Amino acid sequence: MNLFKKLTSSILATVMMLTLVTTGVFAAMPAPLDNPSKVKIALVRYLSTGDFFQAYLSGVETQAKALGVDLRVFDSRQDAALQADMVDQAIALGVDGIIIQHGLTESMQAAAQRAVDAGIKVVAFDVNVENPKIPQIEQSDYMLGKLALEQAIKDNGNTFKAGYVYVPGIAPLDRRDKAWQEIKAANPGIEEAAVFGTLDNPIANSNANQARSVLQANRDITVMFAPYDEFAKGVKIAVDEAGLTDQIDIYSADVSTADISAMREPGSAWVATVATNPAVVGEVCVRSLAIMLTGGDPGRSVIVPPTLITQKFLNDNDIKNMDDLGAKMPQFQHADVAMTGWMPLPKR
Amino acid sequence: MSNDLNVFIIKYGFLVLLVGLIIFFSIFASGFAGPRSAVFIFQSVAITGILALGVTCTLVVDGFDLSIGSVATSSLMMSAYFLVILEASALTAIIACLLMGAFVGLINGILIVRMKVPDLLATLGMMFLLIGLQRVPTEGRSIATGMRLPSGEVADGVFPESFLWIGRHRFDLFLEKLIPVPVVIFILVALFIWIFLELTRHGRLMYAIGSNERATALSGTNTNFYKVLAYVISGVTASIGGLLLAARLGRGDIASGNNLLLDSVAAALIGFAVLGAAKPNALGTAIGALFVGILLQGLTMMNAPYYTQDFVKGGVLVIALVFTFALTSRSRQGGH
Repeated sequence: MNLFKKLTSSILATVMMLTLVTTGVFAAMPAPLDNPSKVKIALVRYLSTGDFFQAYLSGVETQAKALGVDLRVFDSRQDAALQADMVDQAIALGVDGIIIQHGLTESMQAAAQRAVDAGIKVVAFDVNVENPKIPQIEQSDYMLGKLALEQAIKDNGNTFKAGYVYVPGIAPLDRRDKAWQEIKAANPGIEEAAVFGTLDNPIANSNANQARSVLQANRDITVMFAPYDEFAKGVKIAVDEAGLTDQIDIYSADVSTADISAMREPGSAWVATVATNPAVVGEVCVRSLAIMLTGGDPGRSVIVPPTLITQKFLNDNDIKNMDDLGAKMPQFQHADVAMTGWMPLPKR
Repeated sequence: MSNDLNVFIIKYGFLVLLVGLIIFFSIFASGFAGPRSAVFIFQSVAITGILALGVTCTLVVDGFDLSIGSVATSSLMMSAYFLVILEASALTAIIACLLMGAFVGLINGILIVRMKVPDLLATLGMMFLLIGLQRVPTEGRSIATGMRLPSGEVADGVFPESFLWIGRHRFDLFLEKLIPVPVVIFILVALFIWIFLELTRHGRLMYAIGSNERATALSGTNTNFYKVLAYVISGVTASIGGLLLAARLGRGDIASGNNLLLDSVAAALIGFAVLGAAKPNALGTAIGALFVGILLQGLTMMNAPYYTQDFVKGGVLVIALVFTFALTSRSRQGGH
């Protein structure tokens, strides 16, 4: 039986190879992507407001365009019930693949199962839908925190007084917090002088107010760990207002064009950030789905690795925005995950 | 005797509480006492305070403005759009934002007095409208120098120093670089609104409209004009708040502004309790905003976790409302 299976698959592969060779460049993609305009995929979103999600969407769009598939975007705007309904809408629409972007396990688990039952290929980004048939795509928040903190230790030694910005109960922040707890446990010389943080919007302004009073109460803080760029922006405002720009170093996660200009202000206290390019994450989601559509397996868990971005690197290379960053830092522009030989990449 | 005590509590109870709080934090929160810390508290409430003063004007005419938070964030985005994308001068951006605030207030007012839409509903609609509208020009992205526009071009404009000045400059007062510009603007706006409401005929008429619109109209006042005026003032103060926010952040961050709305409404309502006014008033609003600021900064200095903040704001508001309604009505009964 096993031998028979092997035999048929190798025959199939040979046939495929032959068709590939005979039908030229575009048919380099295996079925059903050999006729990509007939392939419909849906992106079902839970979160959409903000720079990160805009960039993510553009990544999904460009990769879908590179493949030539028909992309439909469903945006539930943080309505968990609506998001589940949207999966059903996509099923009714007869799509071939679905990307679930964020959401709640409780509401999405059943909907995702219905899609799988309908024979649709599904991948999930940053939401656990508890389904072995659905690959999980993640940016490694733990690694984001860890790389930033390793840089902090490299710059400041392992004995310093730190302020930490954290709001519990937000999944990515909780995962970044794990890195902070580990580093703290491994380096008893690091003293956590204050923990603060809020998600009241405008987030940067609210955190600036809090950071300002923390700095007033703890004049000897030298490191601020703010593992979310909105937090870091707020801390930077407070540090500047308190006149402690030279004394304090800020380490954060995430990056945007605005963050780059804040990091590059003369003498800026914001010295390093660690980020995955949200557009790359979007591309990886579409590529994973494409691999599944052609019968391949991207793996149970697809992790997009983060990159360390230091102020020095930005200054040395005169990087002004995200495009420059991508050009000067290839590992930020493209992650070599969910790749196959036939995969077309977006034009840079 | 007990009546005198009651009157004292109503008039000064809230101020006594405020002083008690300051003494408490000065002893227990290291770094709380001192001029820089005091200035900083003013700074942290300056923007919500300015918004709250606008709400106060609409409360005076028995109205309500739910759109102020989104007017502020629209003004934030608009100034960033003018400076970074259109590369306009600071003055142009400021004038454009103030006009936008006045225009939104005018529309709110017209919806309410001409179209007879209830104030809460009209301004609620305006709130959603603005939250959406402010995102249209940039397709939902924040505005910063070097951003790529939907057209594919890169925006080269910057926030000029003269614009950042209104959010970041500090005047010398005894100490070097002590008083930030937003605090000065907050105090000026508070003085202006206070003088307008308490000392001018127009302000008096607005209070009269608030207590009995019909009677005021019958006395020959153009009540519609004053109601629209209240919303225009509210729109303009909210856009000032947004400008200060933009100058402090140095970029156009998308945000709904809902927290700005709630915080400033809370400040205005707390203001009812100050000096036993039991009505919206500018002085009370300013003190209400400061009260919340002192509490939050003191608690942050004592390392209180973030979720205590909303709890504390709620607590203060409830206590203030008790001062306003229960004690005031009891003393009135006692008087008869």
